[in-house]
Amino acid sequence: MTVNPIPCRPAKPILAIVLVLVLVGCGASAGSLGASTGAPATPSGSSSVGPAASDEPVASVAPSTMPTVEPSASPAAEASRAQPPRASIAVDGGDPVEGQLGSYSWFGQGSDAPWLDGRPIHIGAGERLTLTLADPVAVVNWTASRVQPGNRDGFGAVGMGQGSGSPVAFDAPPPGSWSVGVTVWFGGNRGSAAYYWLVEVR
Amino acid sequence: MKAWTRLAASILAAVTGLLVTLGGAAAHGPDPLVGSGRWTQDQVLTFKWRSGSVPTSAIQTAIKGAAAAATATRGSQAASYVYDAAGQNLIGYGTGATCGVNGLGCFTRTPPSSFTMWLREQGHVYDWGTLKWCQAYASPPSGCYDAENIALDEFGHIEILDHHVNWSDESDYEDAVVQTLSRTYPYAGWNRHAFGPCDVATLQMEYEVRTWAAKYSTCLALVTTLGLTLGASHSATGGTVTMTATLKVADVSSYVRLALNPLPGRIVTLQRRDRGTLPWTTVGTMSAGATAGTYARSVVVNGSTNFRAVFDTPTDEGLRGVISRIVTIVVD
Repeated sequence: MTVNPIPCRPAKPILAIVLVLVLVGCGASAGSLGASTGAPATPSGSSSVGPAASDEPVASVAPSTMPTVEPSASPAAEASRAQPPRASIAVDGGDPVEGQLGSYSWFGQGSDAPWLDGRPIHIGAGERLTLTLADPVAVVNWTASRVQPGNRDGFGAVGMGQGSGSPVAFDAPPPGSWSVGVTVWFGGNRGSAAYYWLVEVR
Repeated sequence: MKAWTRLAASILAAVTGLLVTLGGAAAHGPDPLVGSGRWTQDQVLTFKWRSGSVPTSAIQTAIKGAAAAATATRGSQAASYVYDAAGQNLIGYGTGATCGVNGLGCFTRTPPSSFTMWLREQGHVYDWGTLKWCQAYASPPSGCYDAENIALDEFGHIEILDHHVNWSDESDYEDAVVQTLSRTYPYAGWNRHAFGPCDVATLQMEYEVRTWAAKYSTCLALVTTLGLTLGASHSATGGTVTMTATLKVADVSSYVRLALNPLPGRIVTLQRRDRGTLPWTTVGTMSAGATAGTYARSVVVNGSTNFRAVFDTPTDEGLRGVISRIVTIVVD
């Protein structure tokens, strides 16, 4: 077992500042390596109890609503509540191809599906693929990976890219035929969606 | 406390909160959220079969099993699920399913009032293949889906969980049941019948832990604070002084309901050193104090002494270790 190595009394102010900078650096790495440090990026909610307010947690009387940023109430936004936005991928200068929608969760509803082979797109080796959403929805996380066509579990998928925010872009897989899946998590707790393409790489 | 010390502490707290958020966003954190509404804490959600779309006996058993598993393994005050012939919420099976065109199962959630769930029928033909529920066979064939696992995934969504963000190599796949892709027999995780630690982590943050002493999910790494106070700052030689430590979850906004929770039932040790010397020696474990999350120990002092309390990072729950500030007893 270890204990927090942060000293109680930094010897000098400069040491405290250096410590903070070091922690930022370490944290940037830890975020993608070690045990989770995290929580979803939800704004503050109220704690149901204060410190040592009672012997056990107290249940709220009424259901609470998280103070998250709600999507726009514009007619266009309302119309898009039925399903996640369509997504297309394209290489630089190429025609976009819309992906096949698999699992998704979206505005309080959702559907769970297997890995799909996806819609065909033909590209050259070494090209870079960029995903575009049909609606202006913020992306908070994304992952891209590939399997052999016909794989329904995604078991053994090879990662092609992963990131936070836009752009969603990744390099083409090696020459051959691949089923490429891109899962996107949307901002404002709207949900997530998986899209698939059958990528033929020359 | 000097000004620079306070400034450093403030910066450190802000950076810690930032790291917590970034850690969750990059990958392998608690499950994201789907929607913004919660059920009431410990709300009992009853369900019945949708008229005209009643599941087969085997699928009914699987769904009831998933409901029991969700309730038993939620590790929090999230909603529980109970079958009731007069239940308020409908679960259906078959051709009437309103799932996406490629969907095996689906859900709607409208907390705090209602939810629905559907599972497609055995043998449903999609563009991608034919649906096989493992429950429809005496021995599961390769490529079948476990209906209990799929229903548990849907119950997780209904609580508030979105699909987990896995590592790119999916090595953390079994840390969550609520997944973008459910695995088929015989791949690892195909028949998992309990929420995973990253499912539970989000449920704990959104619905609170069941008791203050309950373990926090190992998918979390919550920063803690440890205060130490003295019964008296001065003592005569040979006098007895009582130390009180207070262990809490740090006040970080992204912890949602868990921020500032008291932490009783943990191991907090008291250390001492002669004032002005370097090595610390352990006095012993502190006993439970008068209120939740406090720990106390009395010591005899024969000279001016420094004390501090230590909470080591536990291996079985998602809390980070911490050392208290140093306090000094002056022997007159």
